[in-house]
Amino acid sequence: MSSEKVQTIQKTSFEDAVEIAKKGTHCGMCRIDFLGTGLCPSGKKHGFVAYWPQGRMEIFKSLMSGKVKPTKKLVEIANSCTLCGICDKQCNFATQLRPEKVARALKEYANNLDESEFQIVVEDDIIKGLREIVGEKWATNDPVIISSYIRTIIHPDSDLNFYVVMPENTEEVSKIIKFANKNNIPFMPRSGGTLLSCATPTVLSKAFCLEQGIIIDLLRLNKLEVDTKSCTAKVGAGITAFELQKAAYKHKLRANLAEAGAHVCSNIASTGITSTWQNRYGWAADNYIDVEIVDDKGNIRNNSDLDIKNPYTTERGFTDITLTPPGIITESVVKLHPVFDDEDVVLVPFENLKDALNLVMKLAKRNVGLSLVVLSRKYLSEFLCPTPKIAKDFEYICKNYMKLNYVVDVICNKDDKKIVEEMAEYTIDKNMMKTFILGSPRLASLKNSEFLKVLSEEKDPLKAIFAGPMRKHLEKGLDASPEQIAKVFDKDLQDFFKKVYSKPEMTDIIWLHAFRILPSRLMRQRLFFAQAGMIWGEDQDKILKLIDMLSKVCDKYKLEHMLGFISPMDDGKYAFFEYDYYYNHNDPDATKRVSQALIETTENCLVMGDILMVLNYLFKGLYRKEHVLYPIPKGISNDDLALFRELIENILGKEFKW
Amino acid sequence: MVKFLSEEWNNISKEYILKKLDPEKDLKNVTTSLLAIIEHVPPNDTTMNFYLVLKDGKLTDFIVNTGDTSEGKEAVFTVSGNYGTYRSILKGEMSMAVALLRGRLKLKGSKMKALQIIKPLDGVIVSLKEITDEFEE
Repeated sequence: MSSEKVQTIQKTSFEDAVEIAKKGTHCGMCRIDFLGTGLCPSGKKHGFVAYWPQGRMEIFKSLMSGKVKPTKKLVEIANSCTLCGICDKQCNFATQLRPEKVARALKEYANNLDESEFQIVVEDDIIKGLREIVGEKWATNDPVIISSYIRTIIHPDSDLNFYVVMPENTEEVSKIIKFANKNNIPFMPRSGGTLLSCATPTVLSKAFCLEQGIIIDLLRLNKLEVDTKSCTAKVGAGITAFELQKAAYKHKLRANLAEAGAHVCSNIASTGITSTWQNRYGWAADNYIDVEIVDDKGNIRNNSDLDIKNPYTTERGFTDITLTPPGIITESVVKLHPVFDDEDVVLVPFENLKDALNLVMKLAKRNVGLSLVVLSRKYLSEFLCPTPKIAKDFEYICKNYMKLNYVVDVICNKDDKKIVEEMAEYTIDKNMMKTFILGSPRLASLKNSEFLKVLSEEKDPLKAIFAGPMRKHLEKGLDASPEQIAKVFDKDLQDFFKKVYSKPEMTDIIWLHAFRILPSRLMRQRLFFAQAGMIWGEDQDKILKLIDMLSKVCDKYKLEHMLGFISPMDDGKYAFFEYDYYYNHNDPDATKRVSQALIETTENCLVMGDILMVLNYLFKGLYRKEHVLYPIPKGISNDDLALFRELIENILGKEFKW
Repeated sequence: MVKFLSEEWNNISKEYILKKLDPEKDLKNVTTSLLAIIEHVPPNDTTMNFYLVLKDGKLTDFIVNTGDTSEGKEAVFTVSGNYGTYRSILKGEMSMAVALLRGRLKLKGSKMKALQIIKPLDGVIVSLKEITDEFEE
């Protein structure tokens, strides 16, 4: 083969790999064993993000764009991948990407470099000091490794003037912080990086990312002990939601958790764990018994210590914006809840939000259900469908034929199920949901079919399909089976996905709610919240007005958007809402519009009042919800609005024009 | 152009702020006082502070001291942080507001009121930025 030909093939292959890498979302699903494949052997052994599939993708992008020059470590990173294919299976389930192609390209690139192309990495006094604390292997200033942290803690435009250190225990975290302070170097912890990865494409990036200094990667703090007597679990900062839930379920216990790839300790601090289970299990400090925290001086304390000031309260008001947690949680003791034998699922479909909201709030006040939420058709479609195309068609069918725009989704015991069924004219049961999951490709293919046209002409299509004779026809027609759904995956992965979908848990709605592996599919199109936060549950008209406002702002900025979910809390006194945009994070114009819409919705929420917006509840998760929420601030005056604008300008930079 | 926290820095800062900043336009006629405590000052890992008083937008006091108090003088706001944080602010790498919101600077006093005077104080910070070009490394 001529060298020109080799170069052409190589170039195309590298270009493909860059395209895949650009679509990487840092959802973190490649760091948890959610499909029973085992974990990436290289990531498990070496720890640093660089050795995980998501890190390899980030490195490859940086190499190809010239952001980073190769180092000798690159060869080790590239060759540590065994091309075992685990990442392809995991990533394909969540986002349809094939990261192994990037790993192959990285190997090819790294192993064909000339000696002269490597840059030398100098071991300075800081890296020496960090290695004295954690050992030679667990601290680095290698720019290639550093580049793998871009977009999850490092702003894409930053220089790579960082160190990464992976402590093994709380004492090491304390020593690192004291060392950093003594040397006047900024530091910031990194757990799963999922929250920051959502903010990074937006205007919030510089405000949240570390500008330089020491990244404290907490993955090695992996203690996980379940105490069945006290129904608690001791959880290190490196433990993910999925891992904790797996350990809890072995004992018929359940934790209130965020998305599968999120780390438990950091999620407690960042958003207080927002879930569909919060009306029963609580929010913020409700979730834990105690936490071990290292403060910014390096002091170690527990919330249970007697000689500390009240750790459960915080300032309130619209200026109370915090861009970092109040310390690094290295370990927490979280509450676990019983899993009942008679748990079941019941969903109530609705054409309009008002009716769905009305029902969910009634149920919340009566404390019906363990998990209770209004889901939009967008979330439903993305969760259930294996590919974005199927999800799009599924959503189209929900909207245009079935008039299924929202569902009140309840996980409950048998007694509560009866209450829901008495309150609703018709419901969707777990068998029908299983049919929708396995039959989603077939349902999507029925778009424009005669069957659906007939259905849409019914007076109440929802009733016809869920309580009428059409249900049987639909169930039969969908031919829901693991074989059918597996066919939509790449040919070489079809056998694998047939086995995956044959597992009972993959169609078990309760398991899926508890383990939360499906929200990662929302990242197939980059998601960011146009707005999220708490609002009084009683004032349903205001909730609808808020949703309308968010919709109009998103329309103004020409963004695809929809309500994600509304989940009640505290016996329905509050409702947590999330309204999302969907956009291409590689499109600078789209990211600009997302940023503009985010600021405009924030300002509108402040003026409307009685809404605790995302900027105000971020990093408040360690506090008691009563101190954070009572009362939610009223609408602000024009003077305060001017002050808020100044504040935002200070955070985001003066280039942000009102 | 002088070294942060030196005697010369103190004198030039005072002159510069008085000469360059308009009490009404730049400093919004603000009346307040600020004690800024700087920890881990190299090379001996000491603590220093600077204390300034603005009366109707006019600088009336500006003192640099060692330790974490300024000769027993009370300030409306006290902020403390390490030398590196102040260096980042004076080099323009981070705004004072972001340093506060990120917890790099700890505030004693009302956060709401502090943020209200951030704009006038920003004028002072800009002046200090312009005259400070040397830091302990």
